[in-house]
Amino acid sequence: MAIAPARAESFAATGPAEPVVESVRVDQIMPQAKATKKARMILAVITAIVMLIPVYWMATTAIKPRPDAVSAPPKIFFTPSLDGFIGLFFDRSQIAPGELEKYKERTDLSFVEQQALIRGMKILGPSKYVGRLVNSVIISFTSTALAVFLGLLAAYAFSRYEIPGENDWLFFILSTRMLPPVVVTIPIFLWYRALGLYDTHFGMILLYTAFNLSFAVWLLKGFIDEIPKEYEEAALVDGYSRMQAFRKIVLPQCVTGIAATAVFSLIFSWNEYAFALMLTGDKARTAPPSIPSMLGVGGIEWGSIAAGSLLFLIPVVIVTFALRNYLLRGVTFGAIRQ
Amino acid sequence: MATIELKQVAKMFGTTYAVKPMDLTIQDGEFVVLLGPSGCGKTTTLRMISGLEAVTEGNVYLDGEDVTWRPASARDVAFVFQFFALYPRMTVYQNIAFPLESTHESKEVIDRRVNEVVDMLRIRPLLKLKPGALSGGDKQRVALARSLVRRPACFLMDEPLGALDAEFREAMRAEIKRLHNEQHATTVYVTHDQIEAMAMGDRIVVMSNAVVQQIGTPAEVYYDPQNLFVANFIGSPGMQLMEGDYSAGNAHMPGGNVYKVPQAWRAALDREIGQGKVVIGFRPEAAEISADGPFTGMVFGIDLHGAYVVLHVKLVSDQIVQVRAPRDHTYGLDASACFDLNHDMVRFFNPTTQQAIFPEASA
Amino acid sequence: MATASSTTTAASAASPMQHRSQLSDKTIQRLFILPTLILLITWNVVPLFSSLFLAFTHYSHSGMAAPVWIGTQNFSTLLANDTVWHSFAVTGKYALLSVSLQAIVGFALAMILHEKFKGSGLLTTLILVPMMLSPVVVGLFWKLIYNPLYGIFGLLPRSFPVMLEKQPMWSVVITDVWMWSPFVMLLCLSGLRAIPDYLYEAAEIDRASAWQQFWKITLPSVMPLLMLAILFRTIEAIKAFDLVMGLTGGGPGNATETVSVGLFRMVFQGQPRTGLASALGYMVLIVIIGISNVYIWYLNRIKES
Repeated sequence: MAIAPARAESFAATGPAEPVVESVRVDQIMPQAKATKKARMILAVITAIVMLIPVYWMATTAIKPRPDAVSAPPKIFFTPSLDGFIGLFFDRSQIAPGELEKYKERTDLSFVEQQALIRGMKILGPSKYVGRLVNSVIISFTSTALAVFLGLLAAYAFSRYEIPGENDWLFFILSTRMLPPVVVTIPIFLWYRALGLYDTHFGMILLYTAFNLSFAVWLLKGFIDEIPKEYEEAALVDGYSRMQAFRKIVLPQCVTGIAATAVFSLIFSWNEYAFALMLTGDKARTAPPSIPSMLGVGGIEWGSIAAGSLLFLIPVVIVTFALRNYLLRGVTFGAIRQ
Repeated sequence: MATIELKQVAKMFGTTYAVKPMDLTIQDGEFVVLLGPSGCGKTTTLRMISGLEAVTEGNVYLDGEDVTWRPASARDVAFVFQFFALYPRMTVYQNIAFPLESTHESKEVIDRRVNEVVDMLRIRPLLKLKPGALSGGDKQRVALARSLVRRPACFLMDEPLGALDAEFREAMRAEIKRLHNEQHATTVYVTHDQIEAMAMGDRIVVMSNAVVQQIGTPAEVYYDPQNLFVANFIGSPGMQLMEGDYSAGNAHMPGGNVYKVPQAWRAALDREIGQGKVVIGFRPEAAEISADGPFTGMVFGIDLHGAYVVLHVKLVSDQIVQVRAPRDHTYGLDASACFDLNHDMVRFFNPTTQQAIFPEASA
Repeated sequence: MATASSTTTAASAASPMQHRSQLSDKTIQRLFILPTLILLITWNVVPLFSSLFLAFTHYSHSGMAAPVWIGTQNFSTLLANDTVWHSFAVTGKYALLSVSLQAIVGFALAMILHEKFKGSGLLTTLILVPMMLSPVVVGLFWKLIYNPLYGIFGLLPRSFPVMLEKQPMWSVVITDVWMWSPFVMLLCLSGLRAIPDYLYEAAEIDRASAWQQFWKITLPSVMPLLMLAILFRTIEAIKAFDLVMGLTGGGPGNATETVSVGLFRMVFQGQPRTGLASALGYMVLIVIIGISNVYIWYLNRIKES
């Protein structure tokens, strides 16, 4: 019986089994090259899985029933439950053994109360997390809107006009983003305290606006630079004012840029921890500083912490996908395009 | 010996042919030009010869050996790219030496070979520079040097002058041809510029829409185009084409002109057309201004060239054709113009098949 | 401010359509830029000067006493203090380990995901998710992961070094590398994708081996962006605060007390030593400004090319 020739040799003689109908070099469709490509794919998938295991783990911890959330050894299979989220949004306490029977007989318990009952707990009321989340939303969105608005105007001016010392200003704007928060926080903390801005929404909004502004200016300038000046110049020659040209021509064309900038700013504000930790107390505190300190009765409520983390992360994950074409631009402050 | 042979070579992308099955034989030392408009398949063909593109059908032979499934690195070819493809982070010297590094020759040998080609192309002052600092013409010279240094069996060039300014193109054209003559190397050259093709090629392969239209010497494709595409594509301007009704030795043109076809053509035309549409083709220099010429019209435009004049004549059929006239006459706009066609240079085509009609071979 | 554009002059001369209440270009320039500059200066420059002042004073913001000028005493105190040097060491070690590992892993990821195959786009985006998350939250759930009893690491054999308690520095480094390698990957990918195919085709014709192609074409082309990534991540590593706070809080003890964490403790825990902290903050600031300058200069160079 004839021994089949080695794959490389048979390829050299007759080529691939299927006719080639794509643009590819001969060296790229040889058996060795195809094997390498396959190995690469497998490696990529494995890497992606390994990288995402922590996220997956956290997500599953959030929906594990309370006893399973912290079990030793950790459980891989479980029945999903809302315990983590309930603990996140509501304050609970153990029901005294004597009252347990009475509770079980009640028919007026809400869904949430019934869930808590399974674990032998009763609902005391909404937890602090809800308020924190609301603060996060208010502060992030307002500061983003302000930063994008002001940043847009400044970016337009830097892009279209010859501002004296323009490069120096832009350098200054970018460098404000490089400062260690703690250095800047001490004086801000002191004068916020003196002015009564400590632990206020207003104070945090202004701070975050300033914080996001440097990023917004750079990113938006990059977008506006890409719109050819000729359109506005034609409009100006036709008699439109600068403001009209700006509104009618530039604005519509950089809507995507504005959206991307807004989303990035939102993420930065949303994720921000250091300033929030140091400049807020109870009233205006956002979510990030609160999540670590969620202690339950009788131990750390990992399920609730995971639930809080998950809720906090989901918007960001969604947005990462939405912004995937702008990520490179975003993280290099608009300097490099994909 | 460095012959190239393509046997029924074709390339498909998905279900569309980029190159329909074609045969081509290139002799050792020949300079063959693949000519055609964008998208005709000429570059794809070149890439298939080089191995940078895998064929869908057919076989490629280099020096008699079937190299169809040999990678480009295992074929003895050099490739000159339209955008130079110089390695950006290496100096000119390193770029040129690069192809020799895989051969593990000694440094002295490499140095000697590099210096040889550097002098050949007169780029010695550039050796320490990086490609970013070079002009287009210099970059192309370096690319040529890099291709020469390995002394390959064939040179494959993909529109090498396409990215250069007009003034450089003519000088580089002459230089490439000179190098070819000195090296006696088989060269396949791709271009969309028919002037370039006519000036440089020993033979031209005219392609359009994935199909080879004609393979011939410059004289052949110029004087005896095989179809309407070649007739129109070659020459500046292309061949002037007029359509009329043929019957019994006469072509009745729209508008009233009647052209009596030369005797030598009658038999072929009677056989091929019989009674029906025919296309008459002529180059501007084939026209002879004469007061009793069969084609009449008026002067629509005048182009003054150095030694002659090109008249744009609006015929009675409303078609505008270009006709060459001697300088000594003065022609006014809207003046009437009549011309006849040189018997030896006139050509005829069948409009339905798009093919040229050939006169019966005389004994 | 000198220059109004010439087109506007032509327009004002030529056109009948302009309203009388036209805003001049100069006004627009000022109007557009001023609010931004005011905000930025107030929240960045002013505090910097305040901080500078406080750095030379003895001051505790919880007390009644006003700041007292003491010259450079804060600085000498800091430089003589072992804890301070320890936090510099921790920060330096952390920055060095974390950034080098990020560079290697990020670059490797880019090399793997560079050539397109089915799903490579999706995989790339998925891998980019970690860097978009809130660092403190990341620190928090990695705390659980590292937990020897409850976390994933608990599933590994007993011999695997127990993180957090036994190897706090490494646990912070690993989490940081997990979070930020995608950033390096993103920059390297853009560098890799910018390399035109015809360079590799030329290399194939020139019979270059895969190693030669990598070394002479791929690596040099990606290097500028890799350097940019390294510079940026170094600046961030020196500033590290959120992740460390979430994961270890600086502990155990002060095993992972980076300078930022140390600063935080100095100001907000125990008896606040505000003057001292300002001085320390300024020392860090100088270092960061130095590296930031290099970063921004490099960024501009790449932008131009």
